[in-house]
Amino acid sequence: MSALPQTATERVLTVDRLTIDLPSKGAPIRVVDGVDLRVDQGQVLGIAGESGSGKTMTALALLGLLPPGAVTGGRTDFLGKELLQLTTKQWRATRGDEIGVVFQDPMTALHPMLSIERQLTEHVRRHLDLSRHDARDKAVELLRRVQLPDPVGSLRSYPHQFSGGMRQRIAIAVALACDPQLLIADEPTTALDVTVQAGVLRLLKELCESIGLAVIVVTHDLGVMSTVADDLSVFYAGRIVESGPTRQLLQGPRHPYTRGLLDSLPHPERPDQPLVPIDGAPATPANRPSGCALHPRCAWAEPSCSQQEPELVMVAPGRLSACPVDPFDGGER
Amino acid sequence: MSVLQLRDVSVTYHRKHLPDVTAVAGVSLTLERGQILGLVGESGCGKSTLGRAASGLLAPSSGDVLFEGTPVTPLGRKPRPDRERRIQMVFQDPNSSLNGRRKVGDQIADGLELAQSMPSKERKGRVNELLETVGLDARAADRYPHEFSGGQRQRICIARALSADPSVIIADEPISALDASAQAQIANLLHDLAKRLDVGLLFISHDLAIVRHIADVVTVMYLGKVAEFGPTPEVWSEPLHPYSDALIGAVLHADGSAEMPEALPGEVPDPADPPSGCRFQTRCPAVMDRCRTEEPPLEPVPGDEGARHVACWLLHE
Repeated sequence: MSALPQTATERVLTVDRLTIDLPSKGAPIRVVDGVDLRVDQGQVLGIAGESGSGKTMTALALLGLLPPGAVTGGRTDFLGKELLQLTTKQWRATRGDEIGVVFQDPMTALHPMLSIERQLTEHVRRHLDLSRHDARDKAVELLRRVQLPDPVGSLRSYPHQFSGGMRQRIAIAVALACDPQLLIADEPTTALDVTVQAGVLRLLKELCESIGLAVIVVTHDLGVMSTVADDLSVFYAGRIVESGPTRQLLQGPRHPYTRGLLDSLPHPERPDQPLVPIDGAPATPANRPSGCALHPRCAWAEPSCSQQEPELVMVAPGRLSACPVDPFDGGER
Repeated sequence: MSVLQLRDVSVTYHRKHLPDVTAVAGVSLTLERGQILGLVGESGCGKSTLGRAASGLLAPSSGDVLFEGTPVTPLGRKPRPDRERRIQMVFQDPNSSLNGRRKVGDQIADGLELAQSMPSKERKGRVNELLETVGLDARAADRYPHEFSGGQRQRICIARALSADPSVIIADEPISALDASAQAQIANLLHDLAKRLDVGLLFISHDLAIVRHIADVVTVMYLGKVAEFGPTPEVWSEPLHPYSDALIGAVLHADGSAEMPEALPGEVPDPADPPSGCRFQTRCPAVMDRCRTEEPPLEPVPGDEGARHVACWLLHE
């Protein structure tokens, strides 16, 4: 799907063997275990998973926002910078400047008592050192870029005067204020109505293409992934179980977990087909089953699955799966 | 006789120093036993308010809510008649609707206590039965809510609703807060229970794809009014109201096709100040002059034996 050739100069972020340990009463809990990610300019990478899969922790690690006491391992390369080693002070210059972020709920991401102008210009003036007048022009341009109707008039308004979708657009404008190279969007449309969702996703996709922004979208919603993500990594219990180009991955999942997730969704063309949920509840990092973490819930599990952790290996060009079986052979989607 | 009937129900919220908001502006619907009615619409359309009015948690400002033919007593100082325990609710967030400090079994037994017909020594056995009905182990009774996953907690909430031997369950976004795999589990469970136990299920959701799967009939609400009503497969295959069409068209499919649906232009207007004429006219792609001044009535679709109703002037074109 990527229109750009993958050369070293266009790679924005590389993550190698990322691990995150969170402190607990007993031994630290490994919530993310050996995650590799690649994001190129102008590309959307999707990180999919259920709660406890480590998807949000991975995003927080890339923003320097992990809870106190968290220990990280592995390597990152964000345009030559090692993110995992940044000090608090260095993070202040990076987060919001080179890496923008959009959260799920735009009402809590925006300050309810400050005008839109203040929220946009404060940010721009701090990071880009612009005059008040230039900052205002920049704010109008940002609001225009996120396709807010009446950008000039909106500057004097407050967040509560906008609908959820418009607020999320303003939150995106704030995230883009300092021309970041990477945008991390954590469940950007989960709090929005379906009718508004499409508009925000379209905007993200357009921004990505028009200004060559690299975007990481974190969500459990595979429908969202299908529309915006070029590549997709599916997380389960802190590890990537499958990754590859979104279209191939959703049309022919190779890992039983991805297959299970898709089977539990209503089929677009066969509404009478029953929903087939994955049995049981997601594994939590605190009690991760031995071997393959999915084995207690997996329809394809064999005795050896409870002993040996399968490696994430290439199963087709560009496709990685951490399972030797091919559930797509067992039936079609 | 319909187990639940709403006749021209309106609910108005009064606000200090602000104009009143009529969240539900004259809605009628009927629910039969064993039937699943999906109530869909964007946030702010009044679907949750309607659910609360239907269960008696809110008093309607006008109109009637009839449960098995008799008016429902809204929550108030007076105790509600015993038979109204047979209207039960399941809420969106099982974390906040369960008491974290009480054992699961005790919370489920509350409903049995209300029913009073059961000697206390038989209750434990019934609690275990209910847990098994919702797909949980009987040992769950002695544990606390935090020991369960989100999907399991929602099962506990459903068991608690079942303990009062309901003939109507009103489920307000019961799967929205759950993980992807748990959503399908709970949707299937509610569907099976409604059919097996012959319970009327009012399923309120913004997730149209799930509603398509489990609901027999669907009611589409917009800004406090019903835009369209009919059997689910027919509404889906041929939505007659432009709003239902837009809603159904906005559903994303995880099919890898990268298809981006059209966004509906504009925003839901302020319910305190609804537009003149048809409430959808400000966003409607097929708007006509008449729509701006005259409000279309909810009418049966000609030639459809009264099963489908639509409130749109296009029907008269």
